[in-house]
Parts: sequence; structure tokens; C-alpha cells
Amino acid sequence: MIPFLARRTAALVAAVLLASFVVFLIPYVTPGDPVRKIIRSRVAGDVIDDSAVQALSLQLGLNDPLWAQYLRWLGRLSSGDMGLSYTSRTPVAEQVLPALWITLSLVVLALAIAATISVALGVTAALQEGRPADKVITAVTQAFIALPEYWLAPMLVLVFALQLSLLPSAGWEGPHSAVLPVAVLALRPTSYFTSAVREGVLEALSAEHVVAARSRGLSHLQTVWKHVIPNGLLPLTTLVAVWFAGLLGGSVIVEVIFSIPGMGRLLFDGVLNSDIPLAQGAVVVVVGLAVLLTTAADLVHGLLNPQIRMSHA
Amino acid sequence: MPEGLVIEKLSVGTGSSPGGHPSILSELDLTVAPGEFVALVGTSGSGKTMTALSVMGLLPPRIHVETGSIRLGGTDLRAAGEAELNRVRGGRIGMLYQQPKRMFNPRKTVGNHLAEPLKLHRGLRGSAARREALDLLAGAGFEDPAWCARAYPHQLSGGMAQRAMLAVAMAGRPELLLADEPTSALDKVLERQILVLIDRQRHSRRLGVLYITHDLATVSAFADRVVVMEAGRVRESGPVRRVLDTPLATCTKDLVRASAFPAAPASAATSSRTILDLHRVTKRFRSTRRGARPALEDVSLDLREGEILGVLGQSGSGKSTLARLILGLETPDSGSITRSLGGKDNPSGTAGTDVQLVFQEPHDVFDPRMKLRTSLEAPLLQRRDCNAEDRAVLIEGVVREVELDPALLDRYPSQCSGGQLQRLTIARALLLEPAVLICDEATSALDAVTQRKVLDLLLRLHRDRRLSLIMISHDMNVLRYMSHRVAVLFQGALVEVAPTAEFFADPRHRHSKELVAAVLPAPKAAPAGQHVEEIHAV
Repeated sequence: MIPFLARRTAALVAAVLLASFVVFLIPYVTPGDPVRKIIRSRVAGDVIDDSAVQALSLQLGLNDPLWAQYLRWLGRLSSGDMGLSYTSRTPVAEQVLPALWITLSLVVLALAIAATISVALGVTAALQEGRPADKVITAVTQAFIALPEYWLAPMLVLVFALQLSLLPSAGWEGPHSAVLPVAVLALRPTSYFTSAVREGVLEALSAEHVVAARSRGLSHLQTVWKHVIPNGLLPLTTLVAVWFAGLLGGSVIVEVIFSIPGMGRLLFDGVLNSDIPLAQGAVVVVVGLAVLLTTAADLVHGLLNPQIRMSHA
Repeated sequence: MPEGLVIEKLSVGTGSSPGGHPSILSELDLTVAPGEFVALVGTSGSGKTMTALSVMGLLPPRIHVETGSIRLGGTDLRAAGEAELNRVRGGRIGMLYQQPKRMFNPRKTVGNHLAEPLKLHRGLRGSAARREALDLLAGAGFEDPAWCARAYPHQLSGGMAQRAMLAVAMAGRPELLLADEPTSALDKVLERQILVLIDRQRHSRRLGVLYITHDLATVSAFADRVVVMEAGRVRESGPVRRVLDTPLATCTKDLVRASAFPAAPASAATSSRTILDLHRVTKRFRSTRRGARPALEDVSLDLREGEILGVLGQSGSGKSTLARLILGLETPDSGSITRSLGGKDNPSGTAGTDVQLVFQEPHDVFDPRMKLRTSLEAPLLQRRDCNAEDRAVLIEGVVREVELDPALLDRYPSQCSGGQLQRLTIARALLLEPAVLICDEATSALDAVTQRKVLDLLLRLHRDRRLSLIMISHDMNVLRYMSHRVAVLFQGALVEVAPTAEFFADPRHRHSKELVAAVLPAPKAAPAGQHVEEIHAV
């Protein structure tokens, strides 16, 4: 188990470093001179003095080799310093933290709802394989997979906010404003999870040890409860973590449509305003979390599978 | 009130069109008295498993008992409700299956599995259940029952898994054991272990045993009566000695012939020319996540032209590594392999097409989405002198040579039986006109009658084509029937090479002695105590 953990941790660190390096390179590969952008963000007026550019470059260490700049940047990052936003001229970290909190609550809520609904639907569909319940569940979830957020979100707003006036159409004030965005975010994972649960349970049902369990005297329900559902739900653990990582970045559309001040919105603003420190900070946090979650999913999957768990013992 | 299992006029079918479909079982009569050991014998597809599943009330969907009755100690199992059947399953009838490792939930320990029947049928929980579980495992021959209770199925070998399954089957103190080919996937030593354990249970607890098998020889030493099935019907039944000595039905005669292998083949004289020479070959593997592949240490072995060489060894002895080295799929770490095939010396390179391999699982070697003709064409495509018509002629030729109808070529693998596919595997190997055919457990997955037919085919090809064969097997009977010489691999080392007759008369190595002893019929009705020692000895 220890070497297994060590290897996974090493892979995690490598992935984070690689991702941070790519993020670090953003200002170097985007058009425009960052130094001029910084000066423009700090002084009024359009004319920029060349000597000021030289001085600032020197002061920022931009004449040092790339790796030295990277290490310095990484050092600051690890102490929570993500630089100053060009647009708001406040520390990026102060903007990222509250935004992250909002996005995390959105995503966690959406995934919890998606997982709960999909377990119920997927298990039902699998146990009723080929019967009407299965056909309806499968057809509906498949159809929802094809619905894009940017279509669904305005439609829901149209119905629930404008027609029925039940829920706010945008903003982030109180629980009721989370209902529509969470619903939009949860829809597609629910569809994917449902079919994964259905497949998983069907596979678990067809395993030979299920017949053996019946021959020990377990009833059909006891067998399903003890030997089929737990085994059938295992693929879901990995899937949820992958979607967690995906939704952190994928919440951009929903946050923009519903004007929610979350990470997606921050990223969107950063990119739109060429606010490089803001975009960098947002991406680093999202990517770091995504890598962390994927590793966690791997670990959980390993822990739940005795064969993997013990081969590393 | 009759005791034990009584099946009368049982018919099982799909029930969709009465009279139209052939039944799966028709008018089956069968009894197993308490303490009686009944062997239910037949080739695959004869309805043996369906008989067992009918008794358990666990027939697959759409298959139903149509007429007849199944009673156990006075309880009518056909009329019993689901709750009653749940008490019977595991409580009054224990069951063993062919693939014990697949019959355990891979995510639960053996102890978890034992806890279920102990709770359901005997109301035992907690420490009482734990004590009883350990007792049951000890009774199944585990020297460290506590380890076994904590073990997950993947940590058990096939033999251990079947013994653990026996402990689970016995947990509800059943009066009847249904054993559905529990030892077909095990070698003879392990098979005997299981049979001895079952035999002990039936003597000590008056357990009725219905032992399903395709191998008459296996059970002859233990069974009281034999029931022979074919195509869903009982063809013959009677005391085991009578059936073995004077079989009446044709299918019984086939089975008796298939299981009683004559020793030593009628062979063509082998030439003295050595075509394959392994000199002090050593091959080790780095251990990977799945564990190391079995290694070979310092193996020297030769194969003569037109010879059948048997290679005997249990799983993990390095048999398959040997095959891969000979094929040139692996290169030795040290030592040399000299191949003088096709008349020219070829010391370094691979075996090319001169050595071909026949695998164990015929269902795994063909692409399931390709017609068999396409699969057979593949090895010919690299020959430029061969156009589509030539290929068709060649393929149909070899297919006839392995005694199959060429019409089979337009089917998919799933539409063929294991025996047919194994013949096609041989045909595919023959297409490249090899000098040596390596058969790696080539008949282990087939039932006894089919196995015998495939072996006879190999013997004929050996004579007609002067083909040299390397028969890799754990089955002593196969080797005795086929080979001129037997080589024994044990833990990666070659411990014995001897002419077949000499080997079976007087095995030298300790391990060879064990293997040879396991083939001999067991003494009947030995005292229970002796059996226990015997299990711990092997």
C-alpha cells in the first residue's frame, strides 16, 4: 500500500508541476507585452516610456532565464501570492477564494444530486432490463445527454423565471438562486451516471457469483442488495471524480449565463480583459483541484478493489 | 415417506411451443438416497447442469420445469414457494460449481461468504459464527483457517477456492450436495483432494451426493451408482462397477472408452535426428504488478523428428514459458536453443512458421467478430504465391483433414462447439505446414469424449504428416496416451525425462511419484481419519 501511495503522490506532484508550468507560460505565448500591460494597468495615459519598460523588466526579473522566473513564480504561488489583477488592482488570491467557494458549492451540490438520482434510476433500469421502466429511463437520459447547457439554461430561465416567476433568472443571493444553475449543471452528469450505473449493475447481475449467492439461500432481493448493487456502483466513484474535475472548469457557461461570481466567471472575465494574473490564478486553482480529485478517485477505486489494494501491500 | 432426493419424470424446456421445441430434459428419473454418492455423467450439453439447476429452482430465465416432480425428503420442491426454496438452498442442499473462483464475490472475503449461510440457516452471528466458520474451513483441509477466512477470492488457488466453496456449501448442514463438475478445472492431485473431502462428509454426516462430471474414471472410485445422460435423457444407470465393466448404451461406451486411456501409443518409429535442442536454457522474468511469470532454470531438452514429447507440470511450473521460448516469442537469458527445422540449422532466429501452437481455450483464439474463414485466411495472407482461390482450396483442405465440414467456415466462433473450434485451431496451425506442433493444454477445456476425439486426430496427423508434437499438459492420462517420452517440469526446473512406459512404471522424482499416484484409482471406503492425513500430505 505504501509504495502504491508513494507512486500516486509522485504522479500527482509531477502533474501539478507540469500544469503550473503551462499556466506560467501563458503570458509568454499570448500576444502583447505583459510589461506594457502592467504599466498600462497602473498609470493613466496612453504613452508609455521605454525606459519605464526597461526598468520594470529588470525589477520583475524578466531578463533572468526562464527556469529561474518559473521557480520564483512557483515560490510565490505556493505562499498564496498570485499577483495583482490588472483590472481591479487587488490581489488575485482575494478574488479567487470566494469565487472558488461559490463554484465548489455549485458543483458539489450538482454532483450529489446527480449521483443520488442516477443511482435510483440506474438501479431501477438495470433490475427492470428490457421492460417499460428501463426503456423510458434509458431514452430520457440519453436524450438529456444531447442537451447543451447554453440552450437548456435560457429555456429553464424562460419557464421558471419569466413565465412562472418562481425563481430568480440570475444572480447569487440565497439558496433559491442556486436552483436553476445547479439543475443545469446536474443534468448531463445525471444522464451519464445513470447509464454507467445501469451498465455496472447489469454486469454485476450477470456475474456467476450471483447464482452462487442464490444457492446459499439468499433471496433475490438480498443478493441484489449485498452482492449486485455494491459491485455495480463501483465504476461510479471514478466517474464522479472525473466529472467533478470537469465541472470545475465547465461551470463557465452556467456561471456566465446566470451571472454567478464563481471561478468560471472569474476565468471568463480574466480572459476577456486580458487580465493575465487573474486568468493564471483561476486556471492554476482549477487545474490543481482537478488533478487532486482525479488522484483521489484513483485511490478510492484502489481501496475498494481488494485485488488492487493487496497487490501493492 | 421417501428419503433423499427423488426426481420423477422431470421435463424441462422453454415451454414456448409445446411439442415443437426439443426439451432440455425429458422424463428424467433420478434418486439420491442419504449417504449415497451418485455420479451423473454425460458429455457437455447433455443436460447435467440443467438437472442440478432444476433441483435448486434456479433455472435461467425462460426455461421452466414443464412436468414431473422433484422432492427432497418429502418436501415437494416444485410446489414450494420462494421463501421455502430459500430455506432449502444452502440449508438443505449445498452446491459446488465448476469455476470456484468465479463463484465468490471478488470484493468479499471467504469469511463474509461463510457468514451468510451460517446466519440464514443456523441463526449464528458474531463470535459463534466465526468459530463455526473456522471449524468448517479446518474441515475442508485448511491448515490455517483464520487466514482463509480473511482471504479474498483472488488470493486462493483453484483448489483452495473449491475447498473453501465446499466449506460454504456445508455451512447450512445440508442433507444433499450438488456438485456440478467441481474438479474439471483442477489437476488430478487437487481433484482427488476434493473428492476425498466430499466422500468424508457423506460418510460422517450421511450426506447425499450428486456428482456431475464428464469423466467416468474420476468418480469410479467414489460413486455408488452412475447415471448416464445424453440429450436430456437418462440412457443408463446402475452400480458403478456394472456400468464401467459392461456398458450397455452407446453413449456410455463412448464415455468409458474416453476415460480409459490405453497406455503407450501405437507409434511410428521416431528418427534419431534431433530437430530441436535446448541447452541449459534459463529465463527469468521481472515481477510485475500481476506477479512474475513462471521462470525456467537450466533446462536441457531435445525433440526428435516425428516424436511426441509430453511435458508434464502443474500451473506455475513454467510449461508455457517453455512453449514461448521454443516458438521464439521469448529469448533465453542464458543457454541456447538450436532448431534444425526444414533441414537447415537455424541457431539464433525465431522458429518462423515451422513451429505452431495450439492453445487451451479454443473460444479465446478466434476473433469473435470475424467469420472463421477470415480468421483462417490470416496466416496465408503473407504468402505472395497464394491468391484467393489458392487460399480457399488450402483452407478447405485442412478443414477436411481435421474432419470438419467446410460449411462451418462461414460461421462465427460463437456458433461452434469447443471441440469444433479446437479442430479449427489445429487446422489453422497446419496451414503453415509446421514441423512441430506445440499443444499447450490443448484438450483440457474439452469434455472427455471430445478430448479423446481431438487426441486421436492429433495422433493421425502425427502419423500422416510426420508431425512432431509437444504435448504440454497436467493430465497424466493424456500424456500416457500420446507421448513417447515424458518430461516433468517442477517449479521451473526439468526434474525428469523418461520414456513413457518407464516413467509411469517407476517415476523417479518425488513430484513425479505424487503425480503418478494421483491417477491411480482410490481405495474405496477408507476410514475417515486416514483421509484427513492424506489431504494434509498432498
